Order: sequence, then structure tokens, then C-alpha cells
Amino acid sequence: MAASSGVKVPRNFRLLEELEEGQKGVGDGTVSWGLEDDEDMTLTRWTGMIIGPARTNYENRIYSLKVECGPKYPEAPPTVRFVTKISMNGINNSNGTVDSRSIPILSKWQNSYSIKIVLQELRRLMTSKENMKLPQPPEGQTYSN
Amino acid sequence: MADNGAADPGNNNNNKPDASEGTIIKVTVKTPKDKEEIAISEDASVTQFKEEISRRFKAKQDQLVLIFAGKILKDGDSLNQHGIKDGLTVHLVIKTAHKAGDGASSSPSSSSSTQAGSSSSPSPGTNPSTAGTTGPAAPPTQTPNILTGFGDLSSLAGLGMGSANFMELQQQMQRQLMSNPEMLSQIMENPLVQNMMSNPDLMRQMIVANPQMQQLMERNPEISHMLNNPELMRQTMELARNPAMMQEMMRNQDRALSNLESIPGGYNALRRMYTDIQEPMFSAAREQFGSNPFSALGGNSESGAQPSRTENREPLPNPWGPPSSTSSSENGGGTTAGTGTTTGTNPSVSNPLGINAASLGNGMFNSPGMQSLMQQISENPQLMQNMLSAPYMRSMMQSLAQNPELASQNPASSPSAGTNTAQQQQLMQQMLQMFAGGGGGGTQTPEVRFQSQLDQLNAMGFINREANLQALIATGGDINAAIERLLGSQPS
Repeated sequence: MAASSGVKVPRNFRLLEELEEGQKGVGDGTVSWGLEDDEDMTLTRWTGMIIGPARTNYENRIYSLKVECGPKYPEAPPTVRFVTKISMNGINNSNGTVDSRSIPILSKWQNSYSIKIVLQELRRLMTSKENMKLPQPPEGQTYSN
Repeated sequence: MADNGAADPGNNNNNKPDASEGTIIKVTVKTPKDKEEIAISEDASVTQFKEEISRRFKAKQDQLVLIFAGKILKDGDSLNQHGIKDGLTVHLVIKTAHKAGDGASSSPSSSSSTQAGSSSSPSPGTNPSTAGTTGPAAPPTQTPNILTGFGDLSSLAGLGMGSANFMELQQQMQRQLMSNPEMLSQIMENPLVQNMMSNPDLMRQMIVANPQMQQLMERNPEISHMLNNPELMRQTMELARNPAMMQEMMRNQDRALSNLESIPGGYNALRRMYTDIQEPMFSAAREQFGSNPFSALGGNSESGAQPSRTENREPLPNPWGPPSSTSSSENGGGTTAGTGTTTGTNPSVSNPLGINAASLGNGMFNSPGMQSLMQQISENPQLMQNMLSAPYMRSMMQSLAQNPELASQNPASSPSAGTNTAQQQQLMQQMLQMFAGGGGGGTQTPEVRFQSQLDQLNAMGFINREANLQALIATGGDINAAIERLLGSQPS
């Protein structure tokens, strides 16, 4: 089955493709993602990493995230959760979950989006006026769950 | 039926030769700014990998944070564990205390205190202009934006701010400077800084070494011309050192420019000048230099001293072209000559103000301002020399030389200037000579200025005073460079 546009690509193929991209470092090097567990045959649990953008309060920090691509992915958006503590609009302060309704890319999800795009978008949101100056917790803290 | 591309995550789809038949794999290590390919054994541990990386990126191992597929690679792990294979990419973040390789300061409070505290012991003198200094004692923190020219002094890691990446340091400093103008003047006043700045070669090297600068230079060759003129550099640096002088200069220039507007067609020329040259340069320079006076250096060569006027602002330092009343506003500024670029040539890179050399003589020659310029020039050969040090003078000269009619036309059409043909030609020759002699000049004649150097050269056995003088002029008074010039030009 060819993965040409317009055809609905099976979930696993999509995820495998994203895995490959993550390993090859596609993109500008400011986000990274990969399977949390290489043995995970369902390709559900992913870890992501965002490097805090310059000139913001997030700068110089590496944010670790967990992304879960459910069975309906890519039709349904993944659930995203920050592992590293962060103070940002749309991110739950106590457990780091990303509120799908407040992050536009998740609320208006399209199946052409990908984990990479989600991470990049989160990074972009870090540079928004409302977020960039938010005081951040000390570096290195993580949510307990 | 399977789609190979999607179904093989570990497949080496890119063009790497299969190097992993032994155990060496090539892994790409990518930072937000940089990318390197590192060959490493596939059984290596993360620690070993980091060793290799620290060498290549010139950063300390403990500052390196490696990320692969969304996971941070811990030292105890092996590459195998994470599935790092040939041709894959690992992300690198170079931490510097509180930095993570992505740009400048994150915690301005701590950095500013370090900077403020150490501002009295600047280290620019300890940083030789070329990159790769080995760890000067004093923290490099408060050196101003000129250090963008230092290039990657990442061996400074561990110093002062502990910045592994000098770029970050610079950006940090820039930010500091921008927010604190006093700091800038503090820096400027520091004798070490001044010392460094008074060495034009050093400055030039620094500036040229900066990749951003190089880009800027590519976009605007005038900048490289400007940088290569030692005299200009020195004057520019003096300017930068002395803000009052700079302001004076700017004011003069502004006055000159406003005079330009009053000539027919002058306004258009001005506008062209601005849009074609100044804007891109200025905005390009502004990105890097912020509010630093050195932004003048990089982006806006008009802040250079009088000779520099010819660099970018004037459409044409036409020796016969009328200065169009700008000469009245300043003596040295007579260089802002011949602006009435009523000719139709579009500005091009080397001919930025669209001077159509061929039609130069015609419209411009008759204005009264031109004549006063001529007089001034004849009185002050230095002025002529200054004017001529612009790079595109050369092209104009050539075209004029090739077109003798033009040359004769020029003298002919200014009867009341009192300059006759013979004088004109004499002037021409003088100009040519001066021009060939290279950029130099100031308010005194070179001989006077270089008297001591000339004596030294004499004592060393260089008895050809003419040649000595030329060499000194060309090198801006730098004896060593002059000697090399002299030796280079002698048949061996």
C-alpha cells in the first residue's frame, strides 16, 4: 500500500515513519522524539525532547515529554505530557499534562500532523508573548508521576 | 506491498556508504547551530562518544547533553542500547552552567553580576584576534560586540561565565550592553579595550572572522572594502572610542546629505542610496550589533571618518564631479562629491550609487560647488587622496582614463573654475598617484606622520624614501607590514 497523499496511511506505518525521522534528526535540531521503549510493538509510547528557545525563560533548558499515540492516531491527536516541570499556558501545573483544548494544534488536530509537529508547535508556543516571560521552576525538576 | 520507506525505521536510506561492516559507524551530531559527522565504534559507550564529541565541538564533556530519539543519553549507556546506528542523527546540547547551547543568557541576574564585577579587568587584550585562544586569564565577559569578530573562541569554556560557545557569550553580552549603556561606556574607557581598538589589524581580523560579518560582507562588498582600508579602520575605531567625535561626524554627514537633497535629482539619488545600501546593511548589522556604536562599523560605513564618506554614501567621488555644495559644509567632507546622479545607471554592487562614469563630466561639472571643491583639492592634496581611496574610484578612473575625451571635456566645461587643462591633467596625475599609493592620509601629510617610521626604515637599510613612504601609507603606519611590503616588492 503506497503512502501517497490522499490515502489513509495505517497507523503503524505512520508511526514507523515518524520513528525513522526521529532517529535521523529531521528538522532543525531543536526537538527530538523517539520510542520510549524500543520493544514497544504497538508504537504507543514515545518520548520527546524540546530544547528551550533562546530569548525566553525556557532557554537553555531541555524539556522532556511523554507522548502517547493512541490506537486512533493519527486520526486522533496524541496525548502529551511534560515530564520536566514547566510553567506554560495550557500545561497543567501539577502533573504536566498538556491540555488538548488549549493547544490549538491538538484541539484542531489533522491527521497530517505528527509528533514532530506537536513538539515544534509547543516550542513555538514557548516563544509567545504570554509564555516567554513566565517565571520557571528551577531547572531539573520533574513531575512526580 | 509494504512501503519500504515507512516500514524500515532502522534502514539507512540516506547515502552513507555502508561503513559499519567493521564496527565504525558514522553518526551525525547536530546542535541547533552546527552539524558534525563523528565516526565512532558502534559498541562504544556514551562516554566515549562524548569524548569524541567534546574534541570536535571543543566543549567539555560534562557540558554535553546528547539526545537521541527523545531520550537523553546517559554516560553509562551504550550507543547500542539506544539503537544508534550508522547514519542516524543525535542531537547535542552544549550546556554552560545554566546554558544549553541555544543562545544567550538565560539568567541575566547572575550573569550581569559577574560581568559587572569583572568589567574592570577586561580581557579583550587577552584574546588574540584569531579564534582559538587558549584560555586567557581574565573573563572575557565584558568585551563588547566587537568580539563578534572573535569567531568561535569556545576554548574559553570554563572561563568567567563558563561559556563554551563564544557566540552565546557574545549574545549575552550584547544583551547586557543593550540594557545597560553605561556598561558600554565603561568598557570603552577601559585602556585595554582602547589599546586593542587602536590596532586596526586586530580589529579587522576580529571583524572578518565573524561568520555573520562574513555574510554581511558577501552581501555588501563595500563593507569588505571598508574593512580593508587600514586608515579607515583606524578612524572608525577612534570614532567608536570617542562617542562625541562620532556624533560630530554623524552630524557632519547628515548635514552633507541634506545638502545633497537640494540638487536636482539629488533626492532620488539619496533615496536610492538608502534603499540599496544602507537599509539592508543596517538591518543586517543591527541584528548583531544592537545599539553598539560598532554597528556603524559593520552596518553603516558612513560613520567612518572623512575618507569613509566615499565608501557608501557618495554616489561618486568624482574628482571633476561637483561636490554639489557639500564641500562647503566640511573640508574633509568634500568627498561627498558628485551626488547628482542624474545619470540613468542603476545602482549595482560595485557602483552602488548608480554612477554612470561616462556621463559624469557633463551635468555635474558646471556647478559652483564643484569649483570650490577643485580649489580645495588643489590646496589640499590629502583631501584628494582621501576621496580617492574609495574602491569604485578605481573603476571610474579606469573608465575615465579610457575615455580621454571625457577627461578633456571636464576641464573644458569649467571655464570659471580657473583650472586649465594642464592643471587638470596635473591634478589627474596627482590623483592617480595618490590613489595608487593606497588609502592613507589624515590631516597631516603622510611624511609628517610617518616621520619616525621613515627614520626607522632608513636605519634598517631601506633607503628608498619614496617606496618607504608608499609602503607606510599603504599599511597605515605599521612598520612591520611596511617592511614586508617593501621586501615583497623588491626583486629577490
